[in-house]
Amino acid sequence: MAAELTRSDRERAPAPAGAPAGPRASGARRATWTRALRPWLLLTPALAVLAVLLFWPLVRVLLLSFQDYGLRQINTGESNYTGFDNYREILGDSFLWRTVLPNTVLFAVTCVVLTVVVGTLVALLLQRLGRVWRVICSSVIMMAWAMPAVTGTYVWIWVFDPLNGVVSGGLDGLGVIEPRETNWFTDRWSFYAIAALNVVHHGFPFVAITVFAALLTIPRELPEAAIVDGANAWQRFWRITVPTIRPVFLVVTILSTIWDFKVFAQIYLMPGGAGSNQEVLNLGVWSYIQSFSRNQYGMGSAIAVLLTLLLLAITVGYVRALSNERDEL
Amino acid sequence: MLRTPGGASPLARRRRLVAGVAALSLGALTACGGGGDEEGDGSGEGTTIELWIMEGTNPDAEPYVADLQAAFAEQTGATLDVQFIQWADAHDRITTAMAGGELPDVAEIGTTWAPEFGAAGALTDLAGSIEESGLADDLVPALSEAATVDGAVYGMPWYAGTRSLMYRADVFAEHDLQPPTTWEELREVALQLKELEPDMIPFPVIGGGEYSVDAFIWGAGGQIAEQGSDGQWASTINSPEAVEGIEFYTSLATEDELSVAAASTWLETDQLESFQNGEAAMVINGNWTVNTLLEADASWADRIGVVPIPGQTGGFSPSFVGGSLLGDFSSDEPELAWQLIELMSTGEFASQWAESSGYFPGQQSLLEAVQQEDDPLVAPFARQMAEAGASVPVTEQYGAIQGEQVIPQMLQSILSGDKSVQQAADDAAAAMDQTFGG
Repeated sequence: MAAELTRSDRERAPAPAGAPAGPRASGARRATWTRALRPWLLLTPALAVLAVLLFWPLVRVLLLSFQDYGLRQINTGESNYTGFDNYREILGDSFLWRTVLPNTVLFAVTCVVLTVVVGTLVALLLQRLGRVWRVICSSVIMMAWAMPAVTGTYVWIWVFDPLNGVVSGGLDGLGVIEPRETNWFTDRWSFYAIAALNVVHHGFPFVAITVFAALLTIPRELPEAAIVDGANAWQRFWRITVPTIRPVFLVVTILSTIWDFKVFAQIYLMPGGAGSNQEVLNLGVWSYIQSFSRNQYGMGSAIAVLLTLLLLAITVGYVRALSNERDEL
Repeated sequence: MLRTPGGASPLARRRRLVAGVAALSLGALTACGGGGDEEGDGSGEGTTIELWIMEGTNPDAEPYVADLQAAFAEQTGATLDVQFIQWADAHDRITTAMAGGELPDVAEIGTTWAPEFGAAGALTDLAGSIEESGLADDLVPALSEAATVDGAVYGMPWYAGTRSLMYRADVFAEHDLQPPTTWEELREVALQLKELEPDMIPFPVIGGGEYSVDAFIWGAGGQIAEQGSDGQWASTINSPEAVEGIEFYTSLATEDELSVAAASTWLETDQLESFQNGEAAMVINGNWTVNTLLEADASWADRIGVVPIPGQTGGFSPSFVGGSLLGDFSSDEPELAWQLIELMSTGEFASQWAESSGYFPGQQSLLEAVQQEDDPLVAPFARQMAEAGASVPVTEQYGAIQGEQVIPQMLQSILSGDKSVQQAADDAAAAMDQTFGG
């Protein structure tokens, strides 16, 4: 309940911010003030909770990122500010530019594209299915969605086990590979191909269900009119479906982007993903290794801040696109 | 990983849940503390000592804890509050407790954590107490070494284990093979196995853990790192001796093909699984894994053989002795804390714990007693630990080096053919020196 409240309150929050609708009638200024304050008053409990649970940790991470903070500082509670040293060290590290950042960005882009494409195709399939098959298909999809990331990752590791896995067994049967000489987890590309399969498999149900829901809102007359006009399926999809539900596509893309940028468990749990194979580190895992495996909490925080900034930049871009879209409609 | 639409709310919900659980367990905790007070009748009456130990080490810990609580109450009058924590998150949990000022009085810690937490100032130096109790000369050397930094002892050895060479006794008997006593014999017998049992993996060379290769580095006379007279550590993993050890270990895979490619990302647990599946013929595994195998299937007793890890040309290669220390986390009641540590780590309680957990006691005299019993699945490990045990560099920085997985990185780059042994060792040394220097 409380969480529901928080969510709807957050969505509503920007409205009052823009609400003091400027110089209307100067006599009613007091009333305007009261009106402007009232929503904030009602928002206070939720904002207080957010401040404690989200804002303060964020500020702490930011403060930590400017410190050389280790176990000693944790024990004594002292601060140890070093200015921009952490950032300088990270940004000056060729490892970031050659390995970590490309891994993170390329992987996220690939996963987002695949997730949205597969999700949309499945949504279109759901739309065409009869009642019974639709229920069966969507239940199966939900299962993929409901599977915890950790469990899912272990299942994929097992499927791709080089020695005894299902895939290697099949390929061995076809004479394509020699299982004793194969290890897909040591190569950067094959490692990330397996991780992408895992992430897309886990992420597409959300896209499929959301897009399917959006498809149901398209008025029947539109495609019917298009059919009468002689448009084929491909044209109907690009000329009618996509423009009508474009905002939904933007939302699922932005959410997928955020999730796929901060992928952690799906990489960390793979063989070699926890640091023994540096080629496959991404920002999330690198931050974790710096903070918790090396006890350099300041450095780990700085990486986390950089990841946040990267995501913020992308989000702002998307939100801009989204609001432009709305103006056009 | 929270794939739920709605931004921050699921996180908030989860945090609230955590807070709720924490509040609940806090309630349970205080209830515990309140209930035990009436038992006390000695000097520590009215006080409660909190003890954290790892869950799962001892499959039957309940009666042990009950006995310990009774004995401690009888001896001191104080109440003992025991909490079990998971090995996997114990390090994080202690760190968090440190940040929140919620540390227990006494906790079980991994041997390699002592320098870290000690240097952070969270642990009390026990050197004086150990000396006064006359225990100093009766501790397993590798263990007390692991706890000692610049003369301060940050933990009392409690129990430990070590890795030795485990082999399939039934397969060896079938082909009339003898367990190896030198490195060349190890190579020879593995090559024979490759011919005789083509479906088996003669000797998996794993890249996900460091303790197997460490034995060969030490066996060749090398060291991972050495401390200079100024106290500064420097890596020696690229010294000719160390490289010789790494070369031998990895050549078993890269030249003799006695391993499989998959093993280059295996952890020790994967190696054990492969042994358990009947694939691996020889593995370097810990003494505690014998119990794991026997629990799964009692018939393993006839199929396992154990010898200490062979030395280069005879004798044994030193093997890492890992285990647990009991550390005093700056307790307000240092005397009671020491009494508890002494009670647990010596005499009857120490042997009882070691026996039911399948590990070895940290007291040399108790360890020798185990060796005397001459159980074929126990004695070789005890011998390895008593005669050829070793510890990794005892400095807080080595914890960071292990966290960064410098040695597994080195192994994987050699096993995958990306780097030569010397190149990989040079890179590992450079990575270590960067941490030592900073």
